[in-house]
Amino acid sequence: MDFQWSESQDELYRRALELAQRHFAGASRVWADHAFDRTHWDICAEFGLMGLCVPEAYGGLGLDALTTARVVEAFGRGCEDVGLVFSAAAHLFAAVMPIVEYGDEALKAALLPGLARGAAIGANAITEGEAGSDAFALRTEARRDGEVYVLDGAKSYVTNGPVADEFVVYATMNRKHGYLGITAFVVARDTPGLRLGEPLAKMGLKSSPACSLYLEGCRVPASRRLGREGQGGAIFQASMQWERSCLFAGYVGMLERQLAQTVEYARTRRQGGKPIGKHQAVAHRLVEMKLRLEAARLLLYRACWLRDRGQPAVAEVSLAKLAISEAARQSSLDAIQLHGGIGFAADYNVEHMLRDSVPATLFSGTSEIQRDLVAREMGL
Amino acid sequence: MSTSVAIEQTLKQYVAREILDGKDIGLDADTPLLEWGVFNSLEIARLLGFVREHFGVVVPLESVTAEHFKDLRALTALVASLKG
Repeated sequence: MDFQWSESQDELYRRALELAQRHFAGASRVWADHAFDRTHWDICAEFGLMGLCVPEAYGGLGLDALTTARVVEAFGRGCEDVGLVFSAAAHLFAAVMPIVEYGDEALKAALLPGLARGAAIGANAITEGEAGSDAFALRTEARRDGEVYVLDGAKSYVTNGPVADEFVVYATMNRKHGYLGITAFVVARDTPGLRLGEPLAKMGLKSSPACSLYLEGCRVPASRRLGREGQGGAIFQASMQWERSCLFAGYVGMLERQLAQTVEYARTRRQGGKPIGKHQAVAHRLVEMKLRLEAARLLLYRACWLRDRGQPAVAEVSLAKLAISEAARQSSLDAIQLHGGIGFAADYNVEHMLRDSVPATLFSGTSEIQRDLVAREMGL
Repeated sequence: MSTSVAIEQTLKQYVAREILDGKDIGLDADTPLLEWGVFNSLEIARLLGFVREHFGVVVPLESVTAEHFKDLRALTALVASLKG
């Protein structure tokens, strides 16, 4: 493994960080609790964030997984609005990449240019009320009727749902076939029979809107099917390999920003006649935060490096996701503890990182599911 | 023993040992493994790894379908065809 970034990778990182810091950082406002803002989305889209790993032929930047992760990391570090980075990454990795990898040429040509430049927004719809961690037990059904499929069912926790133009929807064509009975479709927002629920109220990631999705006799042209019938499970798993690595790069960036902010506070806040960072209990907690960040980051880079070489990386991706999400939650608690009272106050851009990190151990497969996946890969 | 019979026996032993944990369900070539939930997503992923390591063949994604994984007879035919 080569630890040296190329000049072009460094340049992309610097540009992304500079843009994110210029537009989405600073003490002049609290970034955590505002709603989705399309002008913010468009600023990121102008950079190319919405199509980082989409081939250049379809309007993307054509980056590999490792470089993609590095750029998302830069946005996560520079952008204090964690929900914005989350929404962009959910769009790219869980909605756009399944189309890149499994759409036919006509569908890719029709949809990808708009999605890659962020003019259109994508969402992924798999989770259901009775199918969470057991995602492939889903009940939304698809049946073929001539040149269309008819979809019926309900999806929950659809990130970007309230603002999305295209939905990647997973439905079963034969429940008896379980994982191999699932088929994936791209459903346009204005398709008759598609209805959206009210935006979901959440504890964090507030600028990333989510809602339920209802499909009632929704007729989807066969040309909007991804892959073959029964391939939906594999398509979803492939999208999770992207999401569990490259989306979580945003949290690595957040951890770096959080650590820098907390170290600076520990160097300047004085108690007992000296900076609090000179108290061993404080310094050691900061070292633990640093250790979590660096270990999680290396796991991420290794997972992406393996994926770029076409090697199996199921365990490595899950280990990276597990390490990053658990680090985000624990280090966010530590950051609040080290800031004391102002860490608890909503005006100081500290406490929201905990609220934004709690869901990280839940979505894209809970920490328990990641451990299950790694255990299987270990032959257990 | 023909190649197909040997492949089927190896796959049967794998399923009995690794997935069914030795439980006797009267496993034979036509046991509906997919319908009975024996083959879920995790087990199919593990099975693909076993097929890769033991038989030296990679099952292409387009062949990971219910048609090929419904029972041991279908799976045996798939592995045999990939081995050429």
